[in-house]
Amino acid sequence: MPAAVSGDTNGDPTLANMAFPERSQARVLTHTLAGMAQRPAIVAAIPQLMNAWEAKVIDTFKQIQTRLEDTPHLLRLGRLFSETVLIEVGGDEFYLSFEKGHIVSVAHGPSRKTPWRFALRTDADALNKFWEARPEPGFHDIFGLVKIGRGRIDGDILSLVKNLRFFKEVLSLARAKEELAA
Amino acid sequence: MSIEPITGRYVTVTVGGAPRRIYFEEAGQGRPVICLHTAGADTRQWRHLMNDSEITASNRLIAFDMPWHGKSLPPEGFETQEYLLTTEAYIETVLAVIDGLGLDRPVLAGCSMGGRIALQIAALHPEKFSGFIAIEASDFQPAWYDIDWFHRPDAHGGEMGAALVSANISPHAPNSERWNTLWMFMQSGPGVFRGDLSFYTRDDSLIPRLPTIDTRATPVHIIVGAYDLTCTPEDAERTAKAIPGATLAVMDELGHFPMSEHPEGFRPFFVDALEKMPSPAAKAA
Repeated sequence: MPAAVSGDTNGDPTLANMAFPERSQARVLTHTLAGMAQRPAIVAAIPQLMNAWEAKVIDTFKQIQTRLEDTPHLLRLGRLFSETVLIEVGGDEFYLSFEKGHIVSVAHGPSRKTPWRFALRTDADALNKFWEARPEPGFHDIFGLVKIGRGRIDGDILSLVKNLRFFKEVLSLARAKEELAA
Repeated sequence: MSIEPITGRYVTVTVGGAPRRIYFEEAGQGRPVICLHTAGADTRQWRHLMNDSEITASNRLIAFDMPWHGKSLPPEGFETQEYLLTTEAYIETVLAVIDGLGLDRPVLAGCSMGGRIALQIAALHPEKFSGFIAIEASDFQPAWYDIDWFHRPDAHGGEMGAALVSANISPHAPNSERWNTLWMFMQSGPGVFRGDLSFYTRDDSLIPRLPTIDTRATPVHIIVGAYDLTCTPEDAERTAKAIPGATLAVMDELGHFPMSEHPEGFRPFFVDALEKMPSPAAKAA
């Protein structure tokens, strides 16, 4: 169990395990991003397929990067935001680097040499649910993930809060759009 | 062109030994229903219900802006004060307003901190009201955020507060009403949301008072949205269980500001709540 688990799980070890499984367990149990079926453990352990999963995550963040460029109001809101944010998904690290509101790089970790301003740590299943058009209660917001024990936010929280609308809306750019047609 | 039936006026009352100029809005006739807004917001949260002609046909809805909020000015000398709402000052303000307006045992409906204070008044001053509708209300929750974030010289507290409380709005809410709801937080005066939260997140005095509420004399109905992270359905259920005879309704597709964020979704729950309150005829009998 990573040290970061404590504190945000309302004392429920089950939630803690769901949110932050051991890295090896995470690779087996929680890598189910949109469009990918859950794989048996033995398959999940094959490095090439894990790379495919990681590539899927990178693709999703790059989709966010592209959509951000087409979202003028977010670029305006984020014009003073030039920071690197760590998104940890089931133990895998991804770094989003912002420059004046633009995402200038999406990098896969782990990296001990990449300084980051704040981090959102969650699991793949929770992130999948967060990106649904109308998420279930708790999965509808990053603070909801924290509240239900499926996420943790740490680092320079004030930097996040000062840019909270920007960051939440950027992260939501991967959210399914079905509701717009409803 | 359409002119809404809501009218707004001012009443000056005394709170804490000093005058407070209170802005209030009302619509309808019949049984008076006092409507209390949430922290960091104002009477506009009740705009949809006050424009609902079926509800106002037999209910006189009255909402007022707490001092420091909306169009109610802060007290004289506010520029050197730190605004920190207390349970006592909040109760005194509510009682002063119903006295100032000459209301006879209105229903008290409040949301969030307004719901919390409705339950406090149900325990401490039930004789002045006919029933209580406590929306997104519970016994106590400590803050899951640092309330000092919302009053700093280097950031806009309103924008930060709005971005935070958006976590409490249901994804089923119409987008336009989500943003109308958030706008009030963006407009909130410096330090006001923080001062409201100070009372809301630190005063747990309601907990031992809940079992003393007599719902046979004054019914208590609690309503909670499933998307409310601040007052969760579990919080509301725990609170309802602690009040003998209290009733509870859970709204699956609503959040912490139901009357404002999703008026269509909230309406049937509010109508149901009004039906649980003593009718004006029964009160007169």
